[in-house]
Amino acid sequence: MISFVTGLETEYGCSVEGRGANTQIDDAQALVRSLPGECRVIWDYRVESPRQDLRGFRADRLEVDPVDAAFDEGKHYGPSEEVRADQILANGARFYNDHGHPEYATPECRSLDDLLAHDRAGEAIVLQAARAYAESTGRQTTIYKNNTDYHGASYGFHESYLVPRDWGFERLYAALTPLLVARIIVCGAGKAVAESGRPCDYQISQRADFFSERASVDTLYRRPIFNTRDEPHSNPADWVRLHVIAGDANMMPSCTWRKVGLIRLGLALMAVDAVPNIALADPVRAIQAVSRDMTRRFEIAVEDRIMTTAYEVLNAYLDAGERHLAGDAEFGRLIVDVREILESLPDRPDRIAGRVDWIAKRQLLQTVVDETGLRWGSSELLAYDLEYHNVDPNEGLYFALRDAGMVKDAIPTDLDIPAPRDTRARARGLATRYPELERASWGTLVFRLDGELREVTLDPERDYSHVSPELDVDDFIRAIRTS
Amino acid sequence: MITADERLQRPLTREPAPKGGDERGPAVPDVQKPGDSNELLKRLKRVDPDQAKKYRQRSGE
Repeated sequence: MISFVTGLETEYGCSVEGRGANTQIDDAQALVRSLPGECRVIWDYRVESPRQDLRGFRADRLEVDPVDAAFDEGKHYGPSEEVRADQILANGARFYNDHGHPEYATPECRSLDDLLAHDRAGEAIVLQAARAYAESTGRQTTIYKNNTDYHGASYGFHESYLVPRDWGFERLYAALTPLLVARIIVCGAGKAVAESGRPCDYQISQRADFFSERASVDTLYRRPIFNTRDEPHSNPADWVRLHVIAGDANMMPSCTWRKVGLIRLGLALMAVDAVPNIALADPVRAIQAVSRDMTRRFEIAVEDRIMTTAYEVLNAYLDAGERHLAGDAEFGRLIVDVREILESLPDRPDRIAGRVDWIAKRQLLQTVVDETGLRWGSSELLAYDLEYHNVDPNEGLYFALRDAGMVKDAIPTDLDIPAPRDTRARARGLATRYPELERASWGTLVFRLDGELREVTLDPERDYSHVSPELDVDDFIRAIRTS
Repeated sequence: MITADERLQRPLTREPAPKGGDERGPAVPDVQKPGDSNELLKRLKRVDPDQAKKYRQRSGE
């Protein structure tokens, strides 16, 4: 079976005392550079192509948020590579300043256990950089793993999956769009306000308000449910990097596991040609309606003017998984887990509060309302919503719930976990030991040896576990070329 | 250059929906409250009630 090598990118929210959105790019640049250790800005931008569209064309331009564009009028930031401050970490991850947000992109992982460990490591690494930045500047700095500032600005949590090129846009869109909409009920991060559309006190998804298109290459403005960015970071003749932008950043690792697992399930069903035949009438309207539906009926219109529900959509994929992917232990665990969530959700959501972010946070905020008299929709209540996402284990409300035993979360905080052994991330991580490393990207490493550049292409599907960390640079290059 | 406060001009901040805002049922889920926890209560008391009001970010991806 195809392993669907996966990575996660989290753009963190960042609050710096006395500063604001108009200085955010400068602040994020300085914060990223504050990460203890040597800062080598060697990211290779030659292979970046964010305007290339999976549907076979190249966009002339990408949409930008007009409010953010106004911040930048008359401002000169200097060379892009200096502003972005890309760092390649020893664990194979990328840490950089993306549009004013410290972004941690995990190394490529084959197993979901590795992925969760590196996602948690990212929280700790960003927090470490923030503490160093705060110490050097004297400005209190808080990092949030969420997707909104509650005033109309959203920032992303993205998933990347390596899939065969010949599957094509149409099949991917048809197979995954119902999942992208329906999965929020089992892994949404929750939000105590609406930022567009119909007002509400509380909704399931942080991101749902920010989608206006079914499919497009844009990510900053007029965002789509299905992102068509075609930037494979590998041989474009063979691979597509499916770039999913429709998910929330989760505090609970169990939600991250479920969120990624469901997309992997959809991809695995594609591989055996067993995807349920469900076509949503209007995915944008559907995700926003489901997100606001506190009755938990979660009705969705499908084509032909028939109604279904998010429960039925998810169960159709789970049923297909049971029929066609029996024997896969990871999917087996996923199917059991999601079925438990779906069974409790209509009538006893309290039973699963420790496993679903949006329910846990909803309970917490109800407690605040009851104890303080704050009203839903007030900015004071939003402060509690925001602090749920504070990644400092000594301050964040999510971690308080975890420490009180109300949330199941056994993922340790480990800054120094190594790169996954069985993906190209291991080669990239080991390469950072060599001063001869001149440039690096997801798919390539460039070394300067005896005044000449030597480029090595990394295979996204290859296992690099046998590459020794004890090699000299020549033997290392030989090993990653021939492994 | 515009200031951070001017971002509030975005037509996105809402008045709170009335209770029972969804015509088909309650506006909030009928879930139980978290149990008591001294540490949780301490953390809740440390929350700056103005933090969300002050919190402004640029759009990301």
